[in-house]
Amino acid sequence: MNTKQRTIKMLPLLVGLVVALIVPLIVGKNQYNMVLVTTVLFYGVLATAWNIIGGMAGQLDLAAWAYLGLGAFTSGTLLLRWNVTPWLGMILGGLVAAGFAALVGYPLFRFGVKEVWYALSSAALVEVLRVAFLMWDEVGGPVERYLPFHRASWYHMRFASYVPYYYIVLGLLLIALFVNYRISRSKLGYYLLALGESEDAAEVIGVDARACKLKALMIYAFIVGATGAVYACLFGFIHPSFFNTAQSTEVAILGIIGGMGIVYGPLLAAIILVSGREFMRANLGSSLESLYLAIYAVVLIVIALFRPQGIAPLFRKAYDWLLSRVVGERYAA
Amino acid sequence: MKGKNWSALVVVVVMLTVALSGCVTPSAPAQPAAPKLPESIVIGSLEPLTGAHAVFGTEAKIGTEIAVDHINAAGGIKSLNGLKLKLVTEDAGENADSAKLGAESIISKHHPVAILGLYISRMTIAASEVTEREKVILVADALVDSVTTSGRQYLFRPAPKASQHGASAVQFVVDSAKKAGLDFTKVAILNEDSSFGRSNATGAMDAALNNGLTIVYQKEYPYDITDASSIVADIAAAKADFVVHCPYFTDAILFAKTFRETGNIPKFIVGMGASGYTDPESIQALGETAEYYANTFSYNPAKKTPQNEKFVADFKAKTGHIPTEAAGMNYYAAWVLKEALELSGQMFPTDPLNPDNLRQAFLKLDLTSGPAVETYPGDHIAFTPTGDNPDAKAVVLQVIKGEPRIVWPLEDAEVEAIFPRPDATR
Repeated sequence: MNTKQRTIKMLPLLVGLVVALIVPLIVGKNQYNMVLVTTVLFYGVLATAWNIIGGMAGQLDLAAWAYLGLGAFTSGTLLLRWNVTPWLGMILGGLVAAGFAALVGYPLFRFGVKEVWYALSSAALVEVLRVAFLMWDEVGGPVERYLPFHRASWYHMRFASYVPYYYIVLGLLLIALFVNYRISRSKLGYYLLALGESEDAAEVIGVDARACKLKALMIYAFIVGATGAVYACLFGFIHPSFFNTAQSTEVAILGIIGGMGIVYGPLLAAIILVSGREFMRANLGSSLESLYLAIYAVVLIVIALFRPQGIAPLFRKAYDWLLSRVVGERYAA
Repeated sequence: MKGKNWSALVVVVVMLTVALSGCVTPSAPAQPAAPKLPESIVIGSLEPLTGAHAVFGTEAKIGTEIAVDHINAAGGIKSLNGLKLKLVTEDAGENADSAKLGAESIISKHHPVAILGLYISRMTIAASEVTEREKVILVADALVDSVTTSGRQYLFRPAPKASQHGASAVQFVVDSAKKAGLDFTKVAILNEDSSFGRSNATGAMDAALNNGLTIVYQKEYPYDITDASSIVADIAAAKADFVVHCPYFTDAILFAKTFRETGNIPKFIVGMGASGYTDPESIQALGETAEYYANTFSYNPAKKTPQNEKFVADFKAKTGHIPTEAAGMNYYAAWVLKEALELSGQMFPTDPLNPDNLRQAFLKLDLTSGPAVETYPGDHIAFTPTGDNPDAKAVVLQVIKGEPRIVWPLEDAEVEAIFPRPDATR
């Protein structure tokens, strides 16, 4: 690949980054647009992180909000009890989530729980944590715990506008994308890919399936846990309802619809589906109640039927076609 | 890399920027200049119209719609030259994310002076961060106590909060026992494990202790409980005279059946916090077992006042059933808002819609008559600085011959309560 081809390949990435950086300049004055793009990116982070365990390692993980909740509770509790800044809470929340993932993942992978059984165990994990935190009155309990209410405080990660949150979530997204990219180019990435194709075959040629999957799970949990800390600050409270099975499934759906194992796929899916659904909620939600959910479901089904490999390849094709038209066949990626 | 490529890149970026800025809704214009009044006063209804809580949100929205129609038909806001209300509605989804998005969206699109909603406490908390920042009055219909304990300035809740429900349930039993000449001293308190259940139970415990009762049993259980027999056996073993219970929906049915099947029916069972024992679905599901169960309610559909009868009739014409709690709460909440706007017009004629002025008006409200009070469970509406009405009281419904009837407070009662339960086994 020559320089020119590489430039062309990198072009969408650069454009995306520049657009992402200047979005607040364009929509920053309208709080609704700002919270919308922040929410879209937020789901983008979760889905991109999910790609590591789901897309690359091929484990249908349905526990995203378990790790998110752990991160939120870690950071929120540290702030409420010991006034620890969420900036540190973010990292600690990520570590707690990753540690918990290790505790859960080790026995699961040790005893060869995979496929639907792994999916079911991970879904159960969310529910188990929800009930546990409801009963754990010292930290959780049924009553919402408010984080200190400030109009603006860097120390407490509380802002009167969504712009700082947007950049924090964007930062997390870039980290998630970078980690994805690095893993996909590393030995671990190739091992995971092999595992995803056929675990038995990979093990025969010497891949330590257990260790690889556990690593992938922990990295994913860390990113999601850190995102959970930001989520708690954005919403201003922590509550066991954060351990939400429906929203966990949604993360997996975004990952699958985006294109399993493709680094930017889940992000594309988040951008299209989350903003599309929100657009329908805002415009149809109060007149044709629930219709938008039906439309959303139909869209998902259509994609699953006709694009089982996800929407990312479709975008790549479109981009290649566009390039061949603009700069000629020679440079198309 | 050659310069040519970079210039192409810049062109693309600029084009994209321009294209994007064209797509975006222009940002919110500033609020209209102070003394000039708008054509109408925009108020919003932000309720969960889709998802798990849609059934409540839809009822709430209809209640608000009818209230706005009635307010406009009665001449709008008189102190503001008969200015009419204009209602805008939006779906708040079913979780905190969508609630926050909904709040931002309805405010940036319509700039309402006040929003009524959002029924579910954690959705209300998420949206109230937005209404606080934008200084939009939030007239809340979520009953969990903690909604008003975090120092929100622009949040008011006319309806009785959950702990007031718990207290009303206990007070009803104490009053009824006294009237029947019975000595009820031992109470068992049960609640499902949501913040709503907890708030109700806390109110019941305080009221029980204030009335000199002994709490012989107390339990918080998961709302999706599938076997209630051990709890029912424990209540029997504790020899409770009566049970105060905050169930959700299916657990209410489970408990009612278990009390009956195990033959451990206490002298009285009263629900707190609206859902559970006396709503039409439960009565249908339970059949005869629903008989004598009682429940607190934030609205009294049987209150005999002209305004309430009009509301009930219009609601029935529109939906085919009498107003549920969510509808009733929003009906009187809209009237409370109307009275606050009226007062703001008198207190601040130059700038009545300024959020701080409207807030002052809310705090100065002192209503003992008028449409708001005529549909209100209680006879006095005034707010503390936290946004609650300490004089709010829940009414009690009892299932008598398959129909929920108002039995408490005694002055508002439709019929006399059947007390104690004639089928009590203990």
